[in-house]
Amino acid sequence: MGASPTVTVTPPAPDGGGPGGAPVPRGLRHANRSLAIAGTAIIWIALLGPVIALLTHLSWHSIKTSLSAPGAFDPLILSVESGAVTLGVLLLLGTPLAWALARGTLPLPRIWEAGVLATLLLPPLVIGLLLVFMVGPFTPIGHLLSGLHLSATDTFLALVIAQVYESAPYYILGAQAAFSGVDPRLEQQAALLGDPPRRVFRRITVPLAAPGLAMALAIAWARAMGAFGAVVIIAYHPTALPLQIWTTLQETGLPSALPFALVLLVVALPLPLAAYFWSARARSRRRG
Amino acid sequence: MLEADAEVNRRDFTVRAALTVAPGERLALFGPSGAGKTTILEMIAGLVQPNRALILLKGRVLTSTDKPVTAIPPWRRRVGLLRQDPGLFPHLSVRANLLYGRSDGSDAAAAELTELAGVLGIDGLLGSMPSRLSGGQAHRVALGRLLLSHCDALLLDEPYTGLDSSLRRTLTDLVISLVEERGVPSILVAHELAEAQAYADRLAILDRGEVLQIGAPGEVVLSPATRRVAELVGYTSFLPLQAPNGKPDGLVAAIHPDRVIRGHHPELGIFVHGVVSSCRPAGALWEIGIRSGETTMTARMPEAVQAGQNIQVTATDPPLFGHDGMAATVRPAHAAEGDLGVGWLAQRGQTGNRR
Repeated sequence: MGASPTVTVTPPAPDGGGPGGAPVPRGLRHANRSLAIAGTAIIWIALLGPVIALLTHLSWHSIKTSLSAPGAFDPLILSVESGAVTLGVLLLLGTPLAWALARGTLPLPRIWEAGVLATLLLPPLVIGLLLVFMVGPFTPIGHLLSGLHLSATDTFLALVIAQVYESAPYYILGAQAAFSGVDPRLEQQAALLGDPPRRVFRRITVPLAAPGLAMALAIAWARAMGAFGAVVIIAYHPTALPLQIWTTLQETGLPSALPFALVLLVVALPLPLAAYFWSARARSRRRG
Repeated sequence: MLEADAEVNRRDFTVRAALTVAPGERLALFGPSGAGKTTILEMIAGLVQPNRALILLKGRVLTSTDKPVTAIPPWRRRVGLLRQDPGLFPHLSVRANLLYGRSDGSDAAAAELTELAGVLGIDGLLGSMPSRLSGGQAHRVALGRLLLSHCDALLLDEPYTGLDSSLRRTLTDLVISLVEERGVPSILVAHELAEAQAYADRLAILDRGEVLQIGAPGEVVLSPATRRVAELVGYTSFLPLQAPNGKPDGLVAAIHPDRVIRGHHPELGIFVHGVVSSCRPAGALWEIGIRSGETTMTARMPEAVQAGQNIQVTATDPPLFGHDGMAATVRPAHAAEGDLGVGWLAQRGQTGNRR
């Protein structure tokens, strides 16, 4: 991304002009480099702009009033709880699917992959609408659930379902990439050294895929925390954090909604950041 | 003792192998790329499912397609496989890699580790991560890992391709001594003849899935059983011989560039006179192209010869092949000399059995 500005500046070198090739004047090289850094910085700042705006528009006073209202933290607790359940579901159901996709053990692998991609491509709002038709009270699944005294509309369960649907493809595709990065010959070698498949998975596959798995899980967490489109349709109640922001915005306006946006960021971001730093450290340790 | 009699269909041919390797014996499978060498190792290791097979190791049935049908999974075979990529586990230290197959973590394993690390010259690296190792060090660790796992057979799939030749020699000698000391049957796969010869005490030539010849590493090269084997082990020119009446007598002499001497020595083999068509350095020797009539041949000689010059050379004791490509068991008793400048020695008469 950051290299693209340099391309426009570099005059087409007659003999390829690779590293150590055509003698580019020193001044021009410096100018190139500065431009590249400046260009990258602009993109970076633009991407982070909303966060910067949030921090500059928050006043200590409005944070205090918003967060000291009775029950102000209930949506946060609810979001964290449902997010944790969502991650559990993803780990349990998404990991085997991701592994099978990565190893190509399924027949017609492209079809399975396309299915996962389709859920990624569906707009969350549409997922919410379709979920009503799938798990709503007047559907076979809805009947089954009500037989178990459960309901998948406006309940904790509904919230988890919506979050799972919004975050699953991020986890599955990320985990698939992580598993694909593990050299199958290492697994083969471990088997020849006496490990049955489960032990190979535990001793080789998971540790080697762990940095990628952690990243995938962290992104899924951020998605689940911020899930809104599907949630607003099938789980308007109980109110999760994104909906709290929405209703606050509707009822009392932007300034009082902003503190909750900060809360959402503070809750959603640490895990991805921790996962990022941890996997970077794991990689560098592997390099020795 | 490793006994393998196995067959598996590949896209355009069937790989067949019937091999017996005694404890401590070193068999080399030599053949061109894609001949099915690796497939044979993978059948023994249980990574490829054969169409028909009976594979026994130390009296245990590993694979049997006859009743009772048996297919021991790779993790219970105790077969060690070393490939070109040493395949060290990147998230584990050298020590953990070495002990991978010994998860019991016993004191005996630790003692053995210390001793073996000394033999392999890797005792200073035990705490390092694999990414820090050089190619040769990584191979030593991979070998140590196999030996510590107490495998009953050692399969080496072109393990040293890409390493420099002196390192390759050191590692080969190391493996030879360890295999002998432990009495493990071993099979090396190589697509370079010198590498196969350096390791093996028995050499098998493989082409398109078939074992064409098995014998002592020197013998196979000096007396190939078929013309195809001769081609594979480095004979580059095939000169048709002529009967005294000038007609082809159906025999073809195979010329190996390293077994050609300069001058006219009819008592040693076939002499050829021709014109030097090219001369270029090949290691410490010169590779000389010689055109003789419509045939060309190459010879490697200690001194350069200018192109265009006339030259007389003698191919020493060349193997002969008949129409069918099989080794001729009897040498022609006649002398022949014709357009190609190819002569034959009458004095030697017979060479005896060529198989």
